[in-house]
Amino acid sequence: MRRFLRDNGLSLVFGLLCLGALVGQAFAGQADFNNRQLADAGRQVTLLEYVASSDFAVDVAENWQSEYLQFFLYVFATVWLVQRGSPESKLVDKVGHESDEDQKLGRYATERSPKWARVGGWRTAVFSKSLGLVMGALFFLSWLAQSISGRSAYNAGQLAQFQDPVSWLGYVGSADFWNRTLQNWQSEFLAMGSIVVLSVYLRQRGSPESKPVGAPHDATQESG
Amino acid sequence: MRNAAAAACGLVLLCGVAAGCGTGQREAAAEAAAEDFLGALDRGDAAAACASLSPETAEELTASEGEACEEALGAQGLTGGPVGEVAVWGDRAQVRTDADVLFLAELDDGWKVVAAGCAPQGEKPYRCEVGG
Repeated sequence: MRRFLRDNGLSLVFGLLCLGALVGQAFAGQADFNNRQLADAGRQVTLLEYVASSDFAVDVAENWQSEYLQFFLYVFATVWLVQRGSPESKLVDKVGHESDEDQKLGRYATERSPKWARVGGWRTAVFSKSLGLVMGALFFLSWLAQSISGRSAYNAGQLAQFQDPVSWLGYVGSADFWNRTLQNWQSEFLAMGSIVVLSVYLRQRGSPESKPVGAPHDATQESG
Repeated sequence: MRNAAAAACGLVLLCGVAAGCGTGQREAAAEAAAEDFLGALDRGDAAAACASLSPETAEELTASEGEACEEALGAQGLTGGPVGEVAVWGDRAQVRTDADVLFLAELDDGWKVVAAGCAPQGEKPYRCEVGG
């Protein structure tokens, strides 16, 4: 058990942090929603009603889509784009998909390589892009969920203000949808750009996100 | 990791589906409340029509007209008629009739009319004879 916790500490801690933050968001969001209900002469909702509402769903989904977009783009972009000196980048002369030998594919696969990396054909082709594809799929699903739940929350607000509800396409072209979307995207791009650049010159001893403390600034793809 | 991704995917989908669907029963309840209000107007039963208004709307009407809700509502010249299109989003609804547009809210004691006699004004909110 102890060994399991040690070996999976990173995923367990972040999973728990995510759940804790979601619970906190639910309480804070319910209080905020009920404040707005007072202004709009609506009824107060329970925590359970709020968690099942489109208001909660859109607030969750708009953040999830941007996180998955961040990793989706980063996984694909780092195949072709490099940053000299950043541990977030591969070596500058490794731009592209790299050789089968580098990627342990085909006759270079080892006995411990995953089966889909050994078999060749479409399975290896799919497996070779599976991380980016899954991140991309999660991004599009989260963004779709944002558009559906966002339209529902937006239309409730429209009716409370004695205005007509909008269609899904109308909502996807609305200022509300793009304001929610872009304010999340810009923060993700800023965060990724910051870690790429700052990790060239700054160090965090013991972190794989950093180069070793004594590594030169122009050393790329080292971690410590 | 795969399980976590699947759970995340499922949760996002559930959120979306929960937000977009499941309004059928609530639509029927909102429609019934609108029918009660419109039916009362058809019968000239101002007391029943006033009972279909939200407390805030009834209070506002009384305060603005300086007379009881029943008299004040009668003076607005609202007409009843059959319910047409019903749109429900969250705890709000819009109901159209041949001659009118109503807005309703779901309160602790069910759906109530918050605005009636509403006319569109282009991009701006509807202008309503009662409420609004």
